[in-house]
Amino acid sequence: MASSTFPTTRPPFYRDTRVIAVILQLIFLIALLLTGWFLYSNMVARLAASNTAAGGALSWAFLNQTAGFGISEGPAFRPDESYGRAFLVGVANTLRVGVVGIVLATLLGLFAGIARVSTNWLLNRLAAVYVEIFRSTPLLVQLLFWYVGVIAALPSIQDAAELGNLGYLTNRGIHLTWVFITETGRLWLAWLLAGFVVGLGVSWLRRRHLERNGLPGSAALPGVLVFLALAILGYIVADRIASLPAATTYELRRGDRGTLFEDVNRNGVYEPGVDRALAYVPITLFDQQGQVVASGITESDGTFRFINLPAEAVRLEWETPAPLAVSEPQLQGFNFRGGLSLTPEFAALLIALVVYTGAFVAEIVRAGISAVNKGQWEASRALGLNTGQTLRLIVLPQALRVIIPPLTSQYLNLVKNSSLAIAVGYPDLFNVSRTIVNQTGAEVQVILMVMATYLSFSLITSLFMNWYNKRIALVER
Amino acid sequence: MTTEIRSTTWVNTNHPAPAQKPPVTEVGAIGWLRANLFSSIGNTILTLITAVALYFIVTGLVRWVLGAFWQPVWENRKLFAVGLYPIAQMWQPAAALLMVSALFGLSAGRWGSIMRNLGVGLAALLLLFAVIPIGVQAQLVMAAGLGLLLIGYVAGARVPIASRWLALAWVVSMPITFILLAGGVNLPGLGIRWQFAPFVEVNLWGGLMLTMLLAVVGIALSFPIGVLLALGRRSKLPIIKWFCIGYIELIRGVPLITLLFMGMTMLPLFLPSGWGNPSLLVRAMTAITLFSAAYLAENVRGGLQAIPKGQYEAADALGLSAFDSLRFIILPQALTKVIPAIVGQFIGLFKDTSLASLVGLLELVAVGKAVIQQPEWLGTPGGIAREVYVFIAVVFFVFSYGMSFASRKLESKLGFGKRQ
Repeated sequence: MASSTFPTTRPPFYRDTRVIAVILQLIFLIALLLTGWFLYSNMVARLAASNTAAGGALSWAFLNQTAGFGISEGPAFRPDESYGRAFLVGVANTLRVGVVGIVLATLLGLFAGIARVSTNWLLNRLAAVYVEIFRSTPLLVQLLFWYVGVIAALPSIQDAAELGNLGYLTNRGIHLTWVFITETGRLWLAWLLAGFVVGLGVSWLRRRHLERNGLPGSAALPGVLVFLALAILGYIVADRIASLPAATTYELRRGDRGTLFEDVNRNGVYEPGVDRALAYVPITLFDQQGQVVASGITESDGTFRFINLPAEAVRLEWETPAPLAVSEPQLQGFNFRGGLSLTPEFAALLIALVVYTGAFVAEIVRAGISAVNKGQWEASRALGLNTGQTLRLIVLPQALRVIIPPLTSQYLNLVKNSSLAIAVGYPDLFNVSRTIVNQTGAEVQVILMVMATYLSFSLITSLFMNWYNKRIALVER
Repeated sequence: MTTEIRSTTWVNTNHPAPAQKPPVTEVGAIGWLRANLFSSIGNTILTLITAVALYFIVTGLVRWVLGAFWQPVWENRKLFAVGLYPIAQMWQPAAALLMVSALFGLSAGRWGSIMRNLGVGLAALLLLFAVIPIGVQAQLVMAAGLGLLLIGYVAGARVPIASRWLALAWVVSMPITFILLAGGVNLPGLGIRWQFAPFVEVNLWGGLMLTMLLAVVGIALSFPIGVLLALGRRSKLPIIKWFCIGYIELIRGVPLITLLFMGMTMLPLFLPSGWGNPSLLVRAMTAITLFSAAYLAENVRGGLQAIPKGQYEAADALGLSAFDSLRFIILPQALTKVIPAIVGQFIGLFKDTSLASLVGLLELVAVGKAVIQQPEWLGTPGGIAREVYVFIAVVFFVFSYGMSFASRKLESKLGFGKRQ
């Protein structure tokens, strides 16, 4: 049999790595559970000793209680609604500043990143200075600078700084001329969606055709053309056939103001929540003699208000609006009406996030473009591809592989950084959650909700990233 | 067609023309301008547009800096430096600064590389503040710090101090700094109470000093936790692995500010009732440390992944235990590789400490807010917010950019990112 020099007895069980692994993990688990139990029991004891409404046990009943505070912007929120809905409004506000910020930061970062690889020395240096300054200073300082140092120092509403026809800058907010989708625009949106789906289908078919037959050419172009054609057709159709609801009526008060709405329950009175306000509808006001006294369009909440009318209006006529309406901000009394209004808080937070994140995006774009070997360009030209094809088929796919992963993590950072809103009072998810905590004392529950929300943003993004990474991963032998 | 050479000693009498100078449009200043600014029509237009924009930016900036009202910043320089720390006891932070300067000098001389780059930066700052008339005593302290740094550098380069002793000195310097600043040790829970000067409550610490403390303590304390988490995440033991993954992803998924508020309100909840409430500074430091550890773990994991498998196998073949192989083979290599990443993280943390102002710590940004609200500047037309925030931004910029510059020089010198 086997040589007798080998020990025939098995080593003792405690030298067996498999046993050690199990024992180690058991010890770890027990230590973890003990620590967790220690912390939890301390917490329960302390909560029971304190007089907070939450009491010892973690109760979630506060979510249905009346909040009693208003939220200055975002989706409409009344103080008689619940804490749970207040939290959702905060989430919506976080997403609002997050999505707009991501789009603008990408554009700024793309521009600065391309400038960073430009052969033009001056532009290159200017972009480098921008990147270094804004990467090397804290976002909070930048945010406070924009909010207190810049926006608060803008002229007051009465002397608003005019940006041509584009809008006004004031220390109470930024008011921009904006294009809005009107009532009839809903039909157009349906056409747009259909156009998008059909366009995708067309380019998918086209790509399959091109690949099967080994033909050169763009698969995206026909899809885009189909989409544009349907969009234009849809606009014309919506403009011609769509109309306002049959139950459209209005309230006119004091001869110069009122609301245009769809009277859902047909009682002639506007009831928010039941009736539907009609936004961006062209209206004309007439006086007793049937003379036109004013004309304009209703606002986002269906209201209208005119000042200094020559006579009291008694009657109103409305027209069916085009799918898109342009609304310009107009100074009425002590504030601007119409257009798109950004509060100072939103504007400061947005500017700070965009400028800060843009600097990081610029570095990512620069790294991505530099990562594509010069030989790739030359090889592509040698194969007879033109500049556009080289960019589309050779350079971009390789650069994007380098750019996309860090870019997504920057997007996540932007969303997380938007929690600095609390420093300027923008009612984002975190800020609203602090208000809820201050009123209910439900510290632990609300912190858990906040963390779960941010984590779900991260998780959704990582899932998307994993899918995307798999799609674009280098197929190796 | 043959060329007939009549003589065997043929000499070309047509000497080639002497080399001409390259055209002025190709070399020198003009050549550089043509290549970098005016290489094409499009480029020329771009240059002109950029130049015009730059002209307006620079002149506007210069005009603003010259016309701005810097008096509030200047008069509050002590507040910006150390917060509400009592003037009579300023020798304590000064002593801490001197100790750190000397340690920096020794390390720069002994280790070189990034420590030398950072030491040069520190020396430049000390020199600057020794020259600017910020106050005779403070200037003397700065000059002494500069002197200690230089002496330390020479000593570190000449005397062969063991690296581990120097590292130990750094580790010990941190509690010493705390004791120096606090004026003693006061731990009622352990029954320790010893002082060499009147106690200075931590809520009086502030300014740049507090910003620095938060960042340094955050990185230093998170270092061991981060290394353990990184090792745990690569462990083959599923429970440990999934705990580490869960911790890292949880912390990285939420903003620092949620952790800071959580530390403020929930940390006391987690302690037994008899322990009382830890100070704001301790709560903030706990939150920052737990936050930083997750990011540090990911950096260290990057270093661990960069170690070739052969290193592990070689350690096994030598018969090293798992612990010894980590200690002598894997970690030294992995940690050297991630120095630039850790410097980057330190810079990030340094900037992030500004969030501590939102939970009531009097660090740089909070001092700025307090200065803006001082009654004597309330009547200033336009307010003083811009001056104050620009000043704070400049302070952060000098440190962040200086550190990233030092780190980048190290990376290019060591060729990080290239395969060795």
